[in-house]
Amino acid sequence: MENAILFAPELICLIMGLVLFFAAVLSWSYTTTRGIAIASGIAMIAACLWTLSLEGEPFFPGIYAVDFFSQLIKTALAVGFLFVVIASANPLTVDRNGWLEVPLFFIFSTLGMMMMVSATELLTLYVAMELTAYPVYIVVALHRNADIGGESAAKYMVQGMAASAISLYGMSFLFGTFGSTYFSAISIPHAAAQPIFYLGLLLTLAGFFFKLGAFPFHFWAPDTYETAPHPVITFIATVSKIAAIGILCRLLSLAMPGGWESGHAQTALMWASVIAMTLGNLSALAQKDLKRLLGYSTVAHAGYVLLALQTFAEWGLTAALFYAIGYFAMSFACFLVICEIGRSEDRITIDSVSGLYKRAPFLSFTLLIGLFGLIGLPPTVGFVGKWFLFSAALQRGQFYLVLIAAINAAIALYYYLLIIRQLYWVEPTTQNTIKPTPLIAVTAMATIILVVAMGTLPGPFWDMAARAARALIS
Amino acid sequence: MPLLSSILLTPVITLIILLLMPQRAVRGIRLICALSGLLTCVLSLQLWRSYDPTTSGIQFEEIIPWVAAIGISYHLGVDAFGVILVMLNSIVYFTGVLTMWDLEDRVKEYFAFMVLLVIGVFGVFMSLDLFFFFFFYEIAVVPMYPLILIWGSGNRAYAGMKLMLFLLAGSAFLFPGLLAIYHHAGLNTFDIIALSAHAFDPQFQIFVYPFIYVGFGVLAGLFPFHGWSPTGHVAAPSAVSMLHAGVLMKLGAFGILTIGIRLLPEGAAYWAPTFVVLAVIGIIYGAYVAMRQTDFKFVIGFSSVSHMGIVLLGLNLAVLGSVVATDALNGAVFQMFAHGIMTALFFSTAGYIYDKSHSKTITDFGGLGTQMPRAVSIFIVAGLCGAGLPGLASFWAELLVFLAALKTYPIAGIIVILGLVLTAVYILRVFNLAFFGAPNPKWENLKAQDMSGLHLIPRAILIAVLVIFGFVPRLMLDLINSTTVAFLGNF
Repeated sequence: MENAILFAPELICLIMGLVLFFAAVLSWSYTTTRGIAIASGIAMIAACLWTLSLEGEPFFPGIYAVDFFSQLIKTALAVGFLFVVIASANPLTVDRNGWLEVPLFFIFSTLGMMMMVSATELLTLYVAMELTAYPVYIVVALHRNADIGGESAAKYMVQGMAASAISLYGMSFLFGTFGSTYFSAISIPHAAAQPIFYLGLLLTLAGFFFKLGAFPFHFWAPDTYETAPHPVITFIATVSKIAAIGILCRLLSLAMPGGWESGHAQTALMWASVIAMTLGNLSALAQKDLKRLLGYSTVAHAGYVLLALQTFAEWGLTAALFYAIGYFAMSFACFLVICEIGRSEDRITIDSVSGLYKRAPFLSFTLLIGLFGLIGLPPTVGFVGKWFLFSAALQRGQFYLVLIAAINAAIALYYYLLIIRQLYWVEPTTQNTIKPTPLIAVTAMATIILVVAMGTLPGPFWDMAARAARALIS
Repeated sequence: MPLLSSILLTPVITLIILLLMPQRAVRGIRLICALSGLLTCVLSLQLWRSYDPTTSGIQFEEIIPWVAAIGISYHLGVDAFGVILVMLNSIVYFTGVLTMWDLEDRVKEYFAFMVLLVIGVFGVFMSLDLFFFFFFYEIAVVPMYPLILIWGSGNRAYAGMKLMLFLLAGSAFLFPGLLAIYHHAGLNTFDIIALSAHAFDPQFQIFVYPFIYVGFGVLAGLFPFHGWSPTGHVAAPSAVSMLHAGVLMKLGAFGILTIGIRLLPEGAAYWAPTFVVLAVIGIIYGAYVAMRQTDFKFVIGFSSVSHMGIVLLGLNLAVLGSVVATDALNGAVFQMFAHGIMTALFFSTAGYIYDKSHSKTITDFGGLGTQMPRAVSIFIVAGLCGAGLPGLASFWAELLVFLAALKTYPIAGIIVILGLVLTAVYILRVFNLAFFGAPNPKWENLKAQDMSGLHLIPRAILIAVLVIFGFVPRLMLDLINSTTVAFLGNF
């Protein structure tokens, strides 16, 4: 029974997934199916909060750990799932025959992510990772225009598979080094850590770099962001980032405290970070398609997160976890608006949001707050988050690295401001107003409050992230 | 309720009320902002009166731990510099609201952004925590873009973008600089007072100080990073130019003083000769370029670069530790205040003339003095203050800095005094071309639209302040001096 409680969030996810499966088989209406999904989201959040402070191992020892870290991430994932389902109120860009499958695949992917952050053994981790990936491969392809869907799905899937294969290859190195797939065996601090361990670790990270959109596994991001149906890309851009940052924290904590001294792994991660942020920001400057632009921006933000992770320190993990939750909120604010204004449009260009201020004042404000967050301006979480991330690198004395990151953030200002200019200054091209439903409006309001609350009262959130980071290290 | 938090929370509460008010309640919105401005003025006056100049150091301290684990706290407190600048911001806020009384377009949003700017400025002048200092600093910068873009004039999209890129590029230098100070001290606190007790390694100070100086200097119009300032001021609506040139540029100088010089005195002394040169170039260059402008607001914009150069010059002379250091710092801080009030008066009047005539070109006018005598008179007062006429506040401020310069670096001193001549030239040139001579018949319709009633109130307040401190500089200097002596005593 106690094990069942520890496993409650995943269990609810699984059961509700089966319910959604029958809903799809029996062709219930989309409204009902979405209602069930919303109810499951709420149930999952409740279960996560219930188990938030519990610790234990519900299955075979050493394979699956429930601790504050995993439960915190699971809570964020459950909230993310709920928000994304709410945002998919009008998935017109999705093929009409596939509407019912959208919540179904979302919930199974979320189940995979929940299991991923609890996994403490390589094979469990790999299985969870694939469970996360496959449902998303399918929904990416469910575009109403088969050509567009095919292109984006092909890029996403081929690169995802390749990254996952590299990951698996890396895991074989780890197994070869330690003769065990258990993290407890791997994480023994090694006085003389072998280079092959770091090689294996870096290769293992590949699969999660893919999910995060970090260099050098970012190539799918702009294309898939541009062409995937709006609700689907909302899921990829928000929920899966939380899981990706979470699992990167878990894997890198294995190399602590030796990772910093060993040099090579740290150097590799540092360069990945610098290249990702520079490449992402410079490429985003030239974009006209809003989703593609956000695709490059996500690459840049992956760079900022890696900046903290390459320090192999508790501060870095805490900052990354804090940013994971903050980034979810900022990014969701942008994509919620995209889902609303792009109900029936395949592509959202920067011109599509012209004069949105007049057509939908509240949505326009939501997008403004999201963009302020991504720029990193107070009083949003973007500012505080960057302060913490950059601080992590300076704790290691990496002054110039932070300078590069800060200059990057200034460059990024340009393309975000162009969007803001379109929102508030350029005259709208159409006059039809967009009125969000009450549920969407409440969700948007909640997102804004989260972005501003984390930005002005970061204390409790930092403490939670720090507690999660300590749970990882111990 | 502690005094500083009351001053800071007044605009915060105003902002919340504004956001809840309906779009159409234009009169109510204006009234609330004006009341809030008046309230901050009253509270600042109270702050000035209850500040005790006989005990040096920080007063009215408030500390609330914010992120205890890493040492961030909500720590407010002011010394005499802070008191004066809080006062300056309150005056400009109140008069700025009155200046924009006639605004019709998107009134609610306008005042919301303006109040946000005011919150940021108050926050910087009171914060004694590196995190909150930077937090409020960025808050003050954020609203500039929408304010210029939506309510500005001329080439505003360009000007707004340029301004934001320059200022946030400055922040890019501050980010590593501020965090390096925190981590290098290793005290696990962002508290400026606690950090100032720590003796930083001289090599470290010399390395980090330029980042802090240039980062904040961008906002203070430091040559050669001043490019955003004239274009930004020209494109912004009147009250925004007032706040921006009047108060926001002081944030930069205040940041250099509070963080750069207070925490890194040896670094500041090492770099001072270099930055003196840049400041002198800024003074001369700003004045020289202002002579060639055909646009009212560009003249004022470049004059700001020149006048802020005097502040920066004073700050750099102060850290050299000579006998005139006290004079230099007194002058620099006095100049922050005097220039703030003067330039607010400048922009508020130039903005008025532009609103009525829709022309900013100097040569477009001629003999405007007979058509709009009141507006022109007010502009002339501001101009004479800019030229450093005795009897107006700027005179004393500039005098102190120039004397210090003459004694420390005679050549630099002579050059900046020549710069004063250039200042007189560009100001008299504007008077001559636009205000005197034969009236241009094109503007006869302006006769009926001269300033009257409500329009005169904000300008009258600003002039009164300039005259009071022009004739009784001791009111200000005694206060500043109390902190200056203690501040320089730490060197």
